[in-house]
Amino acid sequence: METKQPKVEKHHHHILSDRMAVGIGISLLILTVITVGMAHVDLGKFNFFFAMLVATVKASLVALFFMNLFYDRKENGVIFGTSFLFLVIFIVLTGTDLFFRGDVAVKGPLFAPTQGKSKLVKPWISTPELVSHGKELFAAQCTSCHGAEGKGNGPAAASLNPPPRNFTSNDGWKNGRKATLVFKTLKEGLQGSSMASYATLPVDDRWALVQYVLSLGPTPPDQDAPEDFAKAGVDAAGGGEAPEAPTISVAAAMKLMAEPQKPIEGVRLYAVAPQEGEAKSAGAAIYAARCSSCHGTEGKGGLIVKNMGVNPKAFVTTRSLTSSLPSLQSTEAFTKVVIEGIPGEAMPASGDLTSSEIQDLYQYVKGLAAQN
Amino acid sequence: MSEAELAHEHHHAHHFASANDEFEACKQGMWVFLVTEVLMIGGLFVAYGIFRGLYPEMFHEAHKMLNWKMGATNTVVLILSSLTMVLGVTATQRGRRTQAMGYLLVTLLLASCFLVVKYFEYTHKIHDGLLPGGFFTNAELKEVPKVSLFFSLYFVMTGIHGLHVIIGMGLIAWILKRTANREFSPHYYTPVEMVGFYWHFVDLVWIYLFPLLYLVG
Repeated sequence: METKQPKVEKHHHHILSDRMAVGIGISLLILTVITVGMAHVDLGKFNFFFAMLVATVKASLVALFFMNLFYDRKENGVIFGTSFLFLVIFIVLTGTDLFFRGDVAVKGPLFAPTQGKSKLVKPWISTPELVSHGKELFAAQCTSCHGAEGKGNGPAAASLNPPPRNFTSNDGWKNGRKATLVFKTLKEGLQGSSMASYATLPVDDRWALVQYVLSLGPTPPDQDAPEDFAKAGVDAAGGGEAPEAPTISVAAAMKLMAEPQKPIEGVRLYAVAPQEGEAKSAGAAIYAARCSSCHGTEGKGGLIVKNMGVNPKAFVTTRSLTSSLPSLQSTEAFTKVVIEGIPGEAMPASGDLTSSEIQDLYQYVKGLAAQN
Repeated sequence: MSEAELAHEHHHAHHFASANDEFEACKQGMWVFLVTEVLMIGGLFVAYGIFRGLYPEMFHEAHKMLNWKMGATNTVVLILSSLTMVLGVTATQRGRRTQAMGYLLVTLLLASCFLVVKYFEYTHKIHDGLLPGGFFTNAELKEVPKVSLFFSLYFVMTGIHGLHVIIGMGLIAWILKRTANREFSPHYYTPVEMVGFYWHFVDLVWIYLFPLLYLVG
């Protein structure tokens, strides 16, 4: 038994009277009724603040009286109150991200093309420094598609249709084999192909790549005509690149340019797994594995698939194989489409199929057409 | 006020100058713990705030799937349980052992009511496919963009709260047993009051959860 009675200070060992306890309890219940009632009255934005206000009053009653803070030493109240202060800081500072997000769109896209003047005088005229700098950049940026020697045979090239340009040949340069136009290609990419825009690279780096890429060819490049400078947006008098027009965010641009359209729905984002059970024929098995995810299990097409590797990103609607497409009219036409794909479209090249497999596939597809 | 015979005397720990110092230290420690709980649950409230700020219409649509009557019932249940808890503490402070035990038992029963209502709410949602994130399969709300976010928040916030209710019930049961064992008196009731604080805090969190989840404008 303790010899000394602990000092029972009213301040810290306050015993809440039953009357107070019940009174606070009833107040809490009334406040609950109020908050539920007011939630059914439309006060717009004020609903939220009112609900939080009532909740805070209730919480204060619990903390002050049920948890004794009203009668307790001040430090405990300060400790508890500080936690709410930090919570408010947490909410408000994080909230500033939310409230100020609009500013990003106003100032322009996150990856704005680099602007402005080239430090070079006439970069469309080749120099050894440009070519050697371009060679380093080429190794970092371009070899995955165009190959280490620029022959268009990089590791990623096999799946691309149209295939990457072979710089060691004079043929097929979409924009022309001229310095300004190659610069244009680098700046804008090539629509309908996987050649992306490299506008995020600095101007001078792009000119270096231009000169390197042209240096790989069998003959010197063609001369730039005045209209080529205009086409490429290059300031012939001033330097490497004409000043760009002020950019706006893509979202804002789309608002200005887009026509009202139904949003694209039902985009097939992944291949459909082949159906369970044995395929009835070899052709059916190939179709299920290679074709059904885009053309549908009955070949009716009409599925929206993403055209991968295309600049800009596009969606296409697949053809129906039960219609009278030219490629379905003969084995030769069918074989050509399957082996080569369709350039610029989502139809891939399946050069790995043997001619007997393609025969089986053709028979199966004709069968689908006959059923519909 | 008759003092019931104590099962054993409470001797304060030797590093405290007095029993009162021990009591004050314990209480302050409890408040510091509750501060950590405020900030833990606060993190979830911030997440709630961000997503509600980004998708206000979605929150409004999604919250319609919550039954506000069940939520309100649970609010009333928890408020009453806080009341019976505090009455249990004051009864212990006054040395009324059997009365205290009665109040603690009622608190436990009210807490069970809360969990039963929660059980019905959860099973109903699971049945309707109103589940977090990738598990969301509800047909009615399918068109609402990002709607599974609301239910992710709902399940995590009420789930963590429910876990605290269960833990609280364990603590109250422990205190009930110790009260039955005559371990508390007007001179020593610290664990009872501290468990009371924990329980009031659980109630306090629900006081905020209820309007934020069930009464979205």
